[in-house]
Amino acid sequence: MTSKIFKSVLFMTIAVLMASLLIVTGVLYRYFGTVQETQLKDELSLAAEATERLGETYLESLSSDRYRLTWVSSDGEVLFDSHADAAAMENHADREEIKEALVSGTGSSTRRSSTLTEQTIYEATQLDDGSVLRISVSRATAFVLVLGMLQPIAVVLVIAIALSAWLAHGMAKKIVEPLNKLDLEKPMENDAYEELSPLLHRIHAQHKEIEYQMQTLKRKQDEFEQITGNMKEALVLLDHTGRIISINPAAKTLFGTSSSCIGEDFLTIDRKQNMRLALDEANARGHADFRAKKNGREYQFDLSRIDSDGKNHGVVVLAFDITEQVNAEKHRREFTANVSHELKTPLQSIIGSAELMENGIVKSEDVPRFIGHIRKEASRLVFLIDDIIRLSQLDEGTEMPREDVSLKVLSEEVCETLADAAKLKDVSLEVTGDDGVINGVRRLLYEIVYNLCDNAIKYNNPGGHVKVSVAERQGTVQISVSDNGIGIAPEHQDKVFERFYRVDKSHSKQSGGTGLGLSIVKHAVQYHHGKIVVESEPNKGTTITVLFDDRTA
Amino acid sequence: MRNRFDEQLFELNREIIELGAMCEEAIASAVKALTTGDIELAVSVKKNSGGIDQMERDIEGRCMKLLLHQQPVARDLRLISAALKMITDMERIGDQAEDIAEIVTFLNGHTMEGMELIEEMARATIEMVTKSVDAFVKKDVALAEKVIAKDDIVDDYFSKVKCGIITLIAENHADGEFALDLLMIAKYFERIGDHATNIAEWVIYSVTGTHKEA
Repeated sequence: MTSKIFKSVLFMTIAVLMASLLIVTGVLYRYFGTVQETQLKDELSLAAEATERLGETYLESLSSDRYRLTWVSSDGEVLFDSHADAAAMENHADREEIKEALVSGTGSSTRRSSTLTEQTIYEATQLDDGSVLRISVSRATAFVLVLGMLQPIAVVLVIAIALSAWLAHGMAKKIVEPLNKLDLEKPMENDAYEELSPLLHRIHAQHKEIEYQMQTLKRKQDEFEQITGNMKEALVLLDHTGRIISINPAAKTLFGTSSSCIGEDFLTIDRKQNMRLALDEANARGHADFRAKKNGREYQFDLSRIDSDGKNHGVVVLAFDITEQVNAEKHRREFTANVSHELKTPLQSIIGSAELMENGIVKSEDVPRFIGHIRKEASRLVFLIDDIIRLSQLDEGTEMPREDVSLKVLSEEVCETLADAAKLKDVSLEVTGDDGVINGVRRLLYEIVYNLCDNAIKYNNPGGHVKVSVAERQGTVQISVSDNGIGIAPEHQDKVFERFYRVDKSHSKQSGGTGLGLSIVKHAVQYHHGKIVVESEPNKGTTITVLFDDRTA
Repeated sequence: MRNRFDEQLFELNREIIELGAMCEEAIASAVKALTTGDIELAVSVKKNSGGIDQMERDIEGRCMKLLLHQQPVARDLRLISAALKMITDMERIGDQAEDIAEIVTFLNGHTMEGMELIEEMARATIEMVTKSVDAFVKKDVALAEKVIAKDDIVDDYFSKVKCGIITLIAENHADGEFALDLLMIAKYFERIGDHATNIAEWVIYSVTGTHKEA
């Protein structure tokens, strides 16, 4: 800025200086030229008069360095010259001023010498006798004058440069100062030059735009972080070199790492072979997935390449916890296997008995026993199928009609049904407690009480007792079935509710159960949003309590 | 130019991690083959060891190129020189895993008591290898020091296994060959533990610039 101003100021100064120098020199030179000419003419007329009167003697007596006098005869012959030998001089008839004087009485001319540094002014006049007297004077040309002035001009130039530097510096400072003081954060609050206001407006507008864009960006980032932060699935974004760009909290826990891994190689948090192969595959083919165990849980990893405009921008790694799913699948497989097995056993027994009778091996007196056996097994099959149907209904979760049911009345009904079975095992049955009315599915509640009582009788000792008590407490209803039977060992207590689980596998035939009773109880209780509590001690007895949170459950 | 250098260092880092992971997998597979008597798995370990050797040579070439072309200094130089030493140890671990797998193919599913101790030793060794690679990945000096401390435990296991094998031979002369194979395996594990210790030492060197005196 300063140097620019300095340059222009200096240029201006020099230009003005030169212009004025030229003008002044030109004007003065011309003025002095005119003055000199007049002087010369006066001098000439004086000399002419004297020469007319005194002749050559005057001219000879006149010795002046300033003027040169030449006396030329009318035919051009030089009669006298004050500065040179007249005899040696050539004929002057063709000189312009002489010719002019011979014609019109006076003449003048200006001639430049060969070196350009001097010019000579000639004035001539015709004397009465026809001869011509010429006077001439030399003077320096304008160029020489200017040349002579070079030194003072140089001094002036130096002064001009110094002055312009000082001026430029001051000016630049003054001009720039308000610019330096501009508060670009708040462009509209400045009162600098008016010329700057479009710029300031523009800056202001851009400020606003940037701010808006930053906000949008931040909001989007927040949204992204909120979503990825709260999702249960682990999400990791990688760039095309495999560096981690973003990792959500779930992924941090899964890979056991912290935020510091951002920017690092993904291999630093998982370098397992299956992950490396999947990454390679995702980069090559666009997608890869695999299942792996991590931290004791089963995960499904999905890797997808992010492509846009045919360019690989990186890979997204997504991991789902599929432990439950895998367990459910396992359960389903086991259930199917169990069902097939359980269905096959009675059928095999039926086929065996039937074959024996078909081949006539069975004695006629044994036939009723065999037929009874077939009937027993067939009805067992029906029980089993009934149970499975009930269970699958519960699995489906279809809505069933609800009504107000008194658990006490229900329990009494169950006890009546089971009275014969209890008598057979020599077990006493007793129902006590409140009415315990709840709003539920009657069939399912019956199923619960029936299965609990049935088990309590089945796994009891002769002479034992089964007590069913119903209690209402602060809006909750609970029914507990307790016996003093064989009890359940602690390690089996959780598992008895699993399908086809039996504590004593070898005695399943004897007790005659299907292995689905408690499973049905569990599902029926879940359907009513209830809870089951098992308290049991081997050989002392079992108390199973079912809690219903509220009557409308 | 520097950017490209950083990129190459990143690649180097990744390849070392990969090599480490390959070694971990090789030794884990070898141990699995040993404990389950799975000869097919043992054969696959032998096959895969070629990959480890190839990787080692690749990394070596990369290190040399980096040293020649980029003339690294300070930390980068330490990383590259440590890498050169580390990959040798890793390659040895891979070789020893292969040797164990080879013995497994000779054992023909032969098992007997005393194996429990070797299994424990194998677990401790695998942990050492995993932790030494982890220490490199995280540039974690404390973890590397833990690995170095763990070497004594593996050494103890070796002498225990040795005593077990001596009594084994004393009691049952017929199984002498098997007992020797077991001793070899135990020795390989002990060596692997030493290599893991070396890796940990080089990790410490690459981070701090001082090499722990053995």
